Amino acid sequence: MASREPRFSQHVLVDAVPLPDDIPKVEEVGASSAPLLSAAFFIGARCRPYNDDYMKCKDESPGRGEIDCMREGRKVTRCAVSVIEDLRANCLGEFRLHWQCLETKNHQLWKCRKQEQGLNECVYKKLGLEKTIPGAPEGQIPIHLRTKVRYT
Amino acid sequence: MSQDLPPAGGYGPVQYRRNLPPRGFRPSFYIFATLAVCSWGFYRIIDGSHEKKELAREKRWARIHLTPVLQAEEDRDMVRRVWAGERREEVLMKDVKDWKFGSVYHTDRFVRPTFVPTPSQITPGLPPQVVQKVED
Repeated sequence: MASREPRFSQHVLVDAVPLPDDIPKVEEVGASSAPLLSAAFFIGARCRPYNDDYMKCKDESPGRGEIDCMREGRKVTRCAVSVIEDLRANCLGEFRLHWQCLETKNHQLWKCRKQEQGLNECVYKKLGLEKTIPGAPEGQIPIHLRTKVRYT
Repeated sequence: MSQDLPPAGGYGPVQYRRNLPPRGFRPSFYIFATLAVCSWGFYRIIDGSHEKKELAREKRWARIHLTPVLQAEEDRDMVRRVWAGERREEVLMKDVKDWKFGSVYHTDRFVRPTFVPTPSQITPGLPPQVVQKVED
């Protein structure tokens, strides 16, 4: 039994003061976890250079990364937003099917292969982005393309 | 005195085993059958664990691709809040002489605030919507 009473403070911690005007405005991604997971590999396919830049910047400026890497961070966010907007503009139906499947299947990618296949095909056809998993063993079919799987 | 002697031609054979037909297959068959079943099972286990490894790799890379997005947003928000706090401090303390503004730490690192000052109307033990009602 907890001996302390819970204190709720989230309703007073709202701080809506914007960043100073000399810092460019960025639209935040605003997607919840399932759409983000669904779009993750396409974000990776298009935004890998920006992501790597940002993570390298953070790594090279310990303790100052939050401020020094805001420029790179804005690029990362803009790129991710562009991917999600392209997905919504071109493959909305497939995208929705896939992330709603993920939502119901506990965010397990292997439970939504059918929907994922449709999404991957549509995205490759219309946006030219392909899902690849780096570091997968060569000479084997990538896990998301296998038809014969133990976990189904 | 005559002794008991075996009958002429010796005793007949003694039946010490039950006269039943042998049951099942040869023993070696069972050994090999067990081995075969076990090998098949281990093959499935190993195959499955390889697949599990690939699924884990997929999940890990999905998160690796998402980490910068989430981190960038979080950093921006934290910087915004800290700077807003500093500006609030400037406004509140502008009349105080010799007030030193800015970070209280002797470093140029970006120090995430450990404590956040909050207004005093937090009612312990009551969730916000109840607090709202109490205030109304």
